[in-house]
Amino acid sequence: MRGFRGTYAWAIAALFVFTAINYVTPLVASATIDFALSGEPDDGRLTSGVIALMGGAEFVRERLWFPALLMVLLTLVAGVFAYLKGRFAAQASDGIARRLKDRLYDHLQRLPAKYHDRAETGDLIQRCTSDVETLRLALSSQVVEVSNSLLLLLTALPIMILLDGRMAAISFVLVVPIILFGYIYVGRVKHLFKEVAEAEGQVTRVVQENLTGLRVVRAFARQDFEISKFAAPNQLYRDRSLRLLRLMAWYWSVSDLVVLIQQGLVLFAGAYFIATGSLTVGTLFAFLMFLNMLLWPVRQMGRTLTELGKSEVALTRMGEILSEPKESDPEVVVTPSAVEGGISVKDLVFKYGEDETELKGISFTVEPGETLAIVGPSGSGKTTIMSLLLRLYDYESGSIKFDGHELTELNRQWVRSQFSVVMQEPFLYSKTIGENIRLSRDGAVDDDVTEAARLADIHETITTFGAGYSTQIGERGVTLSGGQRQRVALARALLQETPVLLLDDALSAVDAETEATILEALRSRHGRRTTLVIAHRLSTLAHADKVIVLEGGRIIQEGTHAELVEAEGLYRRLWKIQTALENELSTPAES
Amino acid sequence: MNDDVPEDAFSEKFDMGLWKKVFRIALRYKQLLWPLAMSAVAIAAVDASFALVTRWTVDDLEEVTSMWDLAPHIAVYLGLAMALSGGVLIFIRSAGGLANHMSHDIRRDCFERLQELEFSYFDHRPIGWMISRLTSDCDKLSRIIAWGTLDLVWAFCLVVMISVILVVLNPVLGLLVLAVVPPLVVISAIFQKKLLLSSRDTRKFNSMITASFSEALQGLRTSKALVREEENLGEFQGLSSQMYGSSMRNALQSAVYIPMVLTLGSVAAGVALWRGGADVMSEEMTLGTLVAFIFYAGQFFNPINQIAQVLVQMQGAQAAGERVLDLLATEPGICDSEAVIAKLAEWDREDRPANVAPDGGRREIESIEFRGVDFSYQSGEVVLKDFHLKVQSGETIALVGASGGGKSTIVNLAARFYEPTGGAILVNGEDLRERSLEWYQSNLGIVLQSPHLFSGSVRENIRYGRLEASDDEVREAARRVNADGFIAALEEGYDTDVGEGGNRLSTGQKQLVSFARTVLANPAIFVMDEATSSIDTETEQLIQRGLEEIFRGRISFVIAHRLSTIRTADRILVIEKGRIIESGRHEELLAGKGHYHALYTQQLKQEFSGPIRLK
Repeated sequence: MRGFRGTYAWAIAALFVFTAINYVTPLVASATIDFALSGEPDDGRLTSGVIALMGGAEFVRERLWFPALLMVLLTLVAGVFAYLKGRFAAQASDGIARRLKDRLYDHLQRLPAKYHDRAETGDLIQRCTSDVETLRLALSSQVVEVSNSLLLLLTALPIMILLDGRMAAISFVLVVPIILFGYIYVGRVKHLFKEVAEAEGQVTRVVQENLTGLRVVRAFARQDFEISKFAAPNQLYRDRSLRLLRLMAWYWSVSDLVVLIQQGLVLFAGAYFIATGSLTVGTLFAFLMFLNMLLWPVRQMGRTLTELGKSEVALTRMGEILSEPKESDPEVVVTPSAVEGGISVKDLVFKYGEDETELKGISFTVEPGETLAIVGPSGSGKTTIMSLLLRLYDYESGSIKFDGHELTELNRQWVRSQFSVVMQEPFLYSKTIGENIRLSRDGAVDDDVTEAARLADIHETITTFGAGYSTQIGERGVTLSGGQRQRVALARALLQETPVLLLDDALSAVDAETEATILEALRSRHGRRTTLVIAHRLSTLAHADKVIVLEGGRIIQEGTHAELVEAEGLYRRLWKIQTALENELSTPAES
Repeated sequence: MNDDVPEDAFSEKFDMGLWKKVFRIALRYKQLLWPLAMSAVAIAAVDASFALVTRWTVDDLEEVTSMWDLAPHIAVYLGLAMALSGGVLIFIRSAGGLANHMSHDIRRDCFERLQELEFSYFDHRPIGWMISRLTSDCDKLSRIIAWGTLDLVWAFCLVVMISVILVVLNPVLGLLVLAVVPPLVVISAIFQKKLLLSSRDTRKFNSMITASFSEALQGLRTSKALVREEENLGEFQGLSSQMYGSSMRNALQSAVYIPMVLTLGSVAAGVALWRGGADVMSEEMTLGTLVAFIFYAGQFFNPINQIAQVLVQMQGAQAAGERVLDLLATEPGICDSEAVIAKLAEWDREDRPANVAPDGGRREIESIEFRGVDFSYQSGEVVLKDFHLKVQSGETIALVGASGGGKSTIVNLAARFYEPTGGAILVNGEDLRERSLEWYQSNLGIVLQSPHLFSGSVRENIRYGRLEASDDEVREAARRVNADGFIAALEEGYDTDVGEGGNRLSTGQKQLVSFARTVLANPAIFVMDEATSSIDTETEQLIQRGLEEIFRGRISFVIAHRLSTIRTADRILVIEKGRIIESGRHEELLAGKGHYHALYTQQLKQEFSGPIRLK
């Protein structure tokens, strides 16, 4: 909000002028009717001042075009201020919205992975988009509206009292009941708004699930089941909307009635006073015009309060994100000058939240340039080790040293920029393929990009796409298969040329032939980078300098491939399963 | 097809045909439509009458001596007030009711249609695209029908009534005041369109911002690992300032528009005061009439603004209308033939022999045959050409070969997810198209590489295979695929919520659950499409042992990278470019030293090339 106060002040100032002029305009017509047309005597009333300013009753009577022109000019000037008000209010509210979105975006990026594990994507997106929009609407219209109503009230009251005290009192008889009615109404519909939004969310969720699971639905011929599953939220959404609507209908109809009765009170009380000679037609006219302006915002009370209530909720929801602590670094960070890429892990313990401990004391060392392979059943903690190396999570106890420096004493981002990673389910941005590869090293030349793509054995595939490296990825472009995605991500990691390469089951979706090509290429670079490999296929592990076997968060075996194959244990069991196949190949005729 | 119409297209032309069709849907709700139109007319009449009551009262002031003389005026006024309030109640209820019932029904119809449409319909339409058809498009369409109709009727009646009153009260002055109406209409039309376009721009940027947030969250780890935070923020700021720009443009347009029409209104009021004042002085007009004129002059703005807004919105909603109507009008390409429908209709009347399916054919599936099947995608890309294959119950067929060779297509055709473009697929010797689609597909079980689970518990997900299965049967199915162990280890066992799309489970675990789901379904045709790629070697080995038993007595299709899964198949088909280039048992194919041998050796070399050779 800060930085926009000035703009808001201008908006309200412009609005004030606008309002003031709007009050004067009916007075012109009112004075003309009373003094020029009806020939009332000048008795020192407010409007008699107005007619005097216009040159006196006689002058106006001769030139009736003059008050008419004055009215138009006043409206025109008021219009200029209305424009200024709109402009400043929009600058302020859109500016705030833009700044909020930028802040939310940046904050989300810098929140720890732990936060994102718990958070629901759809919910976060809603907070960052529609909640901001709710707030923007409230800021641009309601905040100004409320100030408008208050200003109207503050300026109208003295003018009305000056015009006629009795009439002023009558004009406000029902205003308080309407405001009370608005409050009560808002209290009743508040939860309904939320319920309707929830029901709508359910409808969307069922449709989305149905469509993403389309093949499953069809495979089991569950269309009727799905249709009945959809019917419930669809009906709920309709029924809740209808309930809200019924309340709204009552609210609008009752408040309209009250507003009309208020106007009637003024009209007929005024008529009575005119008849008894204590009021002029012009003054009654002015009161009717004022009342029109005043009652409109009062009628909108219900909406205004609802919008303000909604924006309050929105603000809290955004605040919840912004108050989450970002990833932090120690005050003083060590910045190593030369990087070799040695990793040493000792007694590493970690758990995600309250769950079972994921790593229960892991120790291993990788010398610079060595390749370490990690094997183990799913859930044994392989990926967790990678995440801890990248400082996506903070470990509980134990130590990870990178070239002898404790990871927690280093700058997180610096640590990350020392690793190239290919994740299990690699993420590609909705940019072109070329941009996706290049974003690991800004300013990489085309040759480097194609070289990396060749190494990852994706270059040929890319050239078969119509636009080559400029092919867009994602919904508006090509959909890559799992294996292709992995290879693009690999190319990206290879382009990066960091001291350490992390491959987290990175070739699981690549077929055997392709995998061979890639491994061959990587092998030719062996020794240049420290490499950590996770894989289910032992083929990825056989060349490693060292293999560790994880189970249930502990290292149960370690050694070279050769040693592990000889030793009794999980590795050997896995090995045997495949050896059976090899035996068979060597003697196919027997079976 | 209108699928190419971009989300934010603005139709220049007003498509009457389309709106006729839409109104035909609205006509189903006659009981709401009538009160809607009536209340709109009534409200307009009441709105137009208030200034007349004021005039009447002001003109009668001469004769008023006590409050009692005003009684008739007050009574009429109160009557009008009640009528207006009642009218408002009725119109909000009927318009809102119409909007809600219509969007509910259209949404239901769209959803049902989506359930019937064949796969090729979904191939080129992103899920987000279809979701907005069912949510925002349905809502937009029904809202504009209900509230738009109401506003149009009301505004039109009000303008006509006021015009008539003005001309009757004082023809010359009336026509003078009415002279502001045409420019008012023109300005409103121009600005409403500008406003619509700029708010569309804003919405377009807004959806890009939403996509950007979504990408930031999905790619969070990747961005962190690549240290891309600054660059990402820079790109995002580009978007958010574009949105700021278009949102400002929209605000400025309306900041100009409103003062313009207000000024026009004051011109009308000024004319009334100037000319009417002269008439009052010459006593050709009463003071009350003058007051009424000034009031009316200010009353034009609202209804004309409404008419312009509704018409422009209708133009803007045309694209939404077209897309929804198109979806409803799309006939499913794969559905039961009329003969089958007729047979299905008869089914209920017959007593049911155990071995007869609802369509009158044999209940058991004995064989499937591809007879000269051709298949090509809509794009014209030929996948299968004159493909022949016959599979008997009890047989397991493995499909191997490079990706893109047509393996998945064969399976998709066998599942009748797609229809062959030439030739025929026969089940029990009968053309598949002469059998009921639902009967056939309920005999199908498919385990996919990227398994989809629905949000809900593990138990519910497995039970999706057979809705009436007992808890014991669910557990038994899980046991058969070795999923029992990991499920029991979950925090709440079978009641554990798997999360949106099953995301709380690992890919391997999802594959096991979807495997159990298929086993529970006990299908006659069992398809495994890369179904065990993410399951670790040991578990896969365990499943492997159970597979033979699971496959017994069924027709099974297996697509796999891992050769271990394939070895036990009764027949292995090596597929390349849509043709079978080799076929036979594992041993035969190996002995033949052909493509399969090459493929298999390649794979084994992969798995065992290392410094150590065992023996």
